[in-house]
Amino acid sequence: MSKNKVYSTSHCPYCVTLKEFLKERNIEFEDIDVGQDEKMAQEMIEKTGQMGVPVIEIDGEFVIGFDKAKIVKLLNIND
Amino acid sequence: MMSTIYDLIIIGGGPAGITAGIYSARKKLKTLLLTKDFMGQTGKTNEIDNYLGFPNISGLDLMKKFEEHLKKFSIEIKKEKVIKIEKKEQDFVVKTEQKQEFLAKTIIIATGRDPRPLEVEGEKEFIGKGVSYCSICDAPFFRDKAVAVIGGGNSGLGAALDLTRYAKRIFIFEKSEKLLADEILQEQVKKESKIEIHLNTEIKKIEGNKKVQDLIYQDSKTKKNYQVPMDGVFIQIGSVPATGFLKGLVEFNRSDEIKHDFENCATSCPGIFTAGDVDDGKWKQIIVAAGEGAIAALSAYEYLQKTNRDS
Repeated sequence: MSKNKVYSTSHCPYCVTLKEFLKERNIEFEDIDVGQDEKMAQEMIEKTGQMGVPVIEIDGEFVIGFDKAKIVKLLNIND
Repeated sequence: MMSTIYDLIIIGGGPAGITAGIYSARKKLKTLLLTKDFMGQTGKTNEIDNYLGFPNISGLDLMKKFEEHLKKFSIEIKKEKVIKIEKKEQDFVVKTEQKQEFLAKTIIIATGRDPRPLEVEGEKEFIGKGVSYCSICDAPFFRDKAVAVIGGGNSGLGAALDLTRYAKRIFIFEKSEKLLADEILQEQVKKESKIEIHLNTEIKKIEGNKKVQDLIYQDSKTKKNYQVPMDGVFIQIGSVPATGFLKGLVEFNRSDEIKHDFENCATSCPGIFTAGDVDDGKWKQIIVAAGEGAIAALSAYEYLQKTNRDS
């Protein structure tokens, strides 16, 4: 199974909501704290042009923010 | 699909909605709480020191505690966003983005508020590319950078303080001639050498290429425009009530807040109650929102009894 990546910061409420959403549906993901990991933060900015979290990478595709409709579609799950 | 009639549907999962949930559970009302999350504006606040029992807690942690507290009670919760409410005889049909419909005898609106946009050129274009409405979320992306905070109220000064951990320079821009934040925050900000305050300023434009590069503001007294290099712009100019889905159903004041009577938290539509920052109460505080949540739930219970619909 392809690995999903969530880029987040520790105090971001939307990140917590997104991660809970995934956990409730038993979706595995790698949790990357870009608040701690400067290198990964830079990588995220380079890949997405985005300086805000959360960002989720599903099968190499990036979704900005907790965009439920898009995430559900990419993961092919029920809401 | 709509075979169940709920006694009460609570819309919103902030301090007001959660408290209403606890009170309605204690009254054994058949309750459904609909919310997109359990965060609200509180979840975005870094530090809270004015809610009883918690002299120092982050907004995120306080919301977690509230959510845990609610879930100790038997109450049905669905994480769905409400898009419309319609009146159906003496009941209400609540429609959600997930294309579900729920039927209820009474409703509590506790949807809170959304950040107010600045409405200047470049703002929308650069959201996530330097423009942010959540300092505690996005501050780490501005290590050693210059950032502007728009707004000199509590959330503006709070954001500026959040940013001191990361940014090199922080500029607060306030439209009026003084800061509106609580004195305790003003004192903290004035102690920070990284923070510079610009009063009497109006933001004109946010410029950049792929990301924010410059901020253009006007000195309201001299009417002179200034262009300053800036990597980030945090917009903290207050909020607007989240009432879009309610149009035509209840009365609003001029600020789009739901008019309510302070004794019962009732709206102009019998059976619909309201609580928290979404209504026209003057003080937007967690403890006030929680208090109103209790009032609204108890009033909904009383309404069901008075109209003989409590079974």
